[in-house]
Amino acid sequence: MEPIVKLDGVGKLYGRKRVLRDITLTVWPGDFMVVLGMPTSGKSVLVRLLTGLETPDSGRIFIRGQDVTTLPSGKRNLGYVPQSFALYPHFSVFENIAYPLTLAKAPKEKIITEVRRTAELLKIEQFLDRRPDQLSGGQKQRVAIARGLVKNTEIFILDDPLVGLDFKLRERLIEDLKATQEELKVTFIYTTSEAVEAMQLASKLAVLHAGEIIETGSPEELYHRPKREETMRCVGFPQANLISAELTGQNGQLELRSPLFNSRMRLSSHVRGDHLLVPAHVSIGFRPEHVMINAPATEQTVSFEAKVLLREDLGGEEIVYLDAKGIQLTTVLRSDEKGALSINIDEHVTASIRPEDIAVYLNRCYIGRACISHDC
Amino acid sequence: MVDITVKNLTKKFGDFAALRGLDLTFPAGQVTCLLGPSGCGKTTLMRIIAGLETPTTGDIYFGNERVNELSTRQRNIGMVFQYPVVYRGISVRENIELPLSEDRSLSKSERMRRVEEVLDILEMRDVANMDVSELDNGTRQKVACAREVARRPKIILFDEPITNVDINSKLQLKRGLKELFVNLKQTVIYVTHDQTEAMTLADQIALMKDGLITQIGSPREVYDHPKDAFAGFFLGNPGMNFYENVTVRQGEVICDIFPSPMRLPSLNGAVERVVLGIRPEYVRIVTAQTPAAVRAKVIGSAIVTGGQYLLRLKVGSLTVRAKTSHAIGSALQVGDELWAEFPIEHVSVFANNEEQLSTPAKL
Repeated sequence: MEPIVKLDGVGKLYGRKRVLRDITLTVWPGDFMVVLGMPTSGKSVLVRLLTGLETPDSGRIFIRGQDVTTLPSGKRNLGYVPQSFALYPHFSVFENIAYPLTLAKAPKEKIITEVRRTAELLKIEQFLDRRPDQLSGGQKQRVAIARGLVKNTEIFILDDPLVGLDFKLRERLIEDLKATQEELKVTFIYTTSEAVEAMQLASKLAVLHAGEIIETGSPEELYHRPKREETMRCVGFPQANLISAELTGQNGQLELRSPLFNSRMRLSSHVRGDHLLVPAHVSIGFRPEHVMINAPATEQTVSFEAKVLLREDLGGEEIVYLDAKGIQLTTVLRSDEKGALSINIDEHVTASIRPEDIAVYLNRCYIGRACISHDC
Repeated sequence: MVDITVKNLTKKFGDFAALRGLDLTFPAGQVTCLLGPSGCGKTTLMRIIAGLETPTTGDIYFGNERVNELSTRQRNIGMVFQYPVVYRGISVRENIELPLSEDRSLSKSERMRRVEEVLDILEMRDVANMDVSELDNGTRQKVACAREVARRPKIILFDEPITNVDINSKLQLKRGLKELFVNLKQTVIYVTHDQTEAMTLADQIALMKDGLITQIGSPREVYDHPKDAFAGFFLGNPGMNFYENVTVRQGEVICDIFPSPMRLPSLNGAVERVVLGIRPEYVRIVTAQTPAAVRAKVIGSAIVTGGQYLLRLKVGSLTVRAKTSHAIGSALQVGDELWAEFPIEHVSVFANNEEQLSTPAKL
């Protein structure tokens, strides 16, 4: 099998500012590739390069094996769903969805079949005769998505299509988009800045940070075994706890010191061989769900004292914000865990964590996990 | 501080009834969230209380005083909008102090005390002397909130203040608001379509739909005891699973989520068909067959909040969303078969009412 879309060392400058650097990304047929990045990470530029609205300053772009780096937008045969939708107010929903096909002078019967099929996928078939101003916000966005998907092609670019929509509506559209892509058996390249949206949709996830793709993998890989500090931070909600620490000692005896924890820890087997230069500043990261509150002390955990800043009951789970020695940390409790727990804002608690749930990053790259001194 | 009350409130825009008869009290010193989808009337209600809109019928009371004829200024309210309204070119501290200096009854020391108080609560000491033009959107919105709170108006109205703040500042702003509400106990009306915001910030949630209040109660009450399918759908992340047109025979429901006909405590035996609802987090995955378990197949799996897994299961002819722990979810793959229980104490029974169930599709 050949990659259906491939970016090879793509870079883009806006004036003297490098907005994309050495982007290499391989997309296989049937992938739901989600590019996750914060605002200003370069997502929109990437979309503009893929769709052909701009050309890169370096690198090559291949679509269906063909070098399209300088091929104009109209010749790339891609479906495109833009971020902010603009429907033609004087057209019916049917005419709006049909527009790309009408423009391509498709036969009439084909237009009718394709529009109906796409409208059914997005559950708007009962509105085809209406005009956009007779629709709710969510229905309009469905029409805009349908217009992007109606094109008879197998590659679709979706540029953050759910941004700014009502919360409940996003919940529905995430399910519908996932089902649509699976049913059509096509390739989606999709950008967003929301971690949970990304993890729900993606079969493959690429993390775009400051113009670079820093890591690519399945949502599970990136969530459980992030190789880069930024991946740990942005893949997951609530965001992971990342705090600074010191790595000291000699080869094989790498001690991890953080003002947060009461007990001493070491770096367990690490991925970079034994030639780490110490002492070194490192970051240690752990996910909110790995922090236990007022759990019985054991030899397998390290602990710290903290004050409860805020409890955020989301219904099905609860986020608890802690302050430990001036460091703000986040924990999350499932509904079945929080029932037994009675803690109040400003109360002092003992938080504990298993060292194997603590990842250590040197220069923002993963080097290993923590362990308790006597175990290492 | 006084209660704010609306009585028999209606509002028509031409033929469109935006509000269809509301009776509601906003208790003094509490945060009431008006929660609902776009077009439910929540913003119209807020604008009427603010005096920016006149009701078609009905009255508004601040305590015992009827305020229908009073202007916005006379009502003495504070407002925070979707986009931060701040005075550029002056510092954060000056922004907060400016409206206070218009109040002649306040001593200088009281003014200072109030300014420092909100700066402390919002942890904004380090930016207090910065020009607001230098701040990001989220911090500016904090300034706007701080200014209204420091004024101590009779009521403060918040119109989706977090919606347009960038994702990095959202959490911080939400925390800041919670701290303000908890510490200063002012009377607040907070409009939002985001149920997690309402769950976190509200003392009471007034859930709205099509110009009516459908349910009112504490966040936990509305979450745990939804009065109708709409409440079950709208609160929760994601909302309830629903099974429509479930047959009731001799006081028992017949549904694929139960291995046999099931007697439900909340079931009224007189009806023939009902809707059953269960929240995704209450669907229980069990390792072996139990008397209450049914066979299920995993058709989708994703990591969601706090490392939990949101599974999509096929149970008989039904699709079920199940939110499960990391330990259980990470061991399962699409295609796996398992046993699932639907504990009857967590199954809600609703009237088989098409209008309510169509809401998700209408959004």
